[in-house]
Amino acid sequence: MVDFLRGVAILVGFNMAGVGVHRLGVPLPSGVLGLLLLFLALSLGVVKLDWVEGTAMTLLRHMVLLFVPLTVGLIAVWSVVQRQALALTASLVVSFVAVLLVTGLLGKALLQERVEDEPGELKQ
Amino acid sequence: MSVLAFLMRNPVTAIMLTVAAYAVALALHRRWRWVPPLVAACIPLMALLVVAHVPFAEYNRGGALLSWWLGPATVGLAVPMFRHGRALRNSLGRLALMVLAGSVVGMASAWLTASLLGAPHAVAMAAVPKSVTTPIAVEVSRELGGVPEITIALVLLAGILGASFGVPILRLAGVHDDRAIGVAIGASSHGVGTASLVRRSEMQATVSSWAMAASGVFTSLLAALLKLLMR
Repeated sequence: MVDFLRGVAILVGFNMAGVGVHRLGVPLPSGVLGLLLLFLALSLGVVKLDWVEGTAMTLLRHMVLLFVPLTVGLIAVWSVVQRQALALTASLVVSFVAVLLVTGLLGKALLQERVEDEPGELKQ
Repeated sequence: MSVLAFLMRNPVTAIMLTVAAYAVALALHRRWRWVPPLVAACIPLMALLVVAHVPFAEYNRGGALLSWWLGPATVGLAVPMFRHGRALRNSLGRLALMVLAGSVVGMASAWLTASLLGAPHAVAMAAVPKSVTTPIAVEVSRELGGVPEITIALVLLAGILGASFGVPILRLAGVHDDRAIGVAIGASSHGVGTASLVRRSEMQATVSSWAMAASGVFTSLLAALLKLLMR
């Protein structure tokens, strides 16, 4: 419990630091700034992985709970969603397939020569 | 009826009801795997708001206290990024390049498709960050002037698409490398896609959770750049 709270304190502290840096005019979301600061602190060894690992993984595992209120907010914008259903669906599908194929095929090209001992796959 | 309305308006009971709906949704998800926990948790709460005639804004006084924790949760993404970054050190540069390309293509194609089909600015911008993990997507959407609620729905759907069709589509395209599959799924369908890889291959899941965090960072950097250009 104490370990968990120490993790909470660190994550909230870095989040606040992110908010502060964002207020100074850095145009990144404060959470991302906090993420980068914590990443830096972990890389420099200022913060030990043990201190935050448990809490971070618990928060990430239950992140769905944290989305619930925002998702419920869909009822407030429902009429917009209905009117734009086609544009939203098309945008979702086109962009999803584009990202998947661009990263996947680029990966195939970039990583291929270094594949050490991939078993010869006979599937098409 | 008025009791229900009171319970949904009061921040403390609104949070309690939300947590309860989430707990029930998780139990349903454990029993029937195909039930998406987010959808199962939201439907009863939406129904309560409609039945009790409570405006969303009043429920959200409590709800916002839960949403606030998305900030610290985003910060927590540093943990998988750091842990897996060490393990992937050798190919990190190439993996980052793949994620960057995916972020650019994802943002541009989502905006372009929505705009061409006549979506107004706030809707097209809401689609732009739809490939990245929700807390970051919401912030990016707000920064760009999008409707965050629409972004959340698209993010969820992108995750479901990735978990259901991601690997089959990649196989059709001839992509078999574990790291390539991991990056493609993590960059296109964030945590939901990543979770679907856990049972397939540890390497795929590891790369995927790294790619999900990295694409969140790249997308917010690109969005910041875009915002500067739009001014």
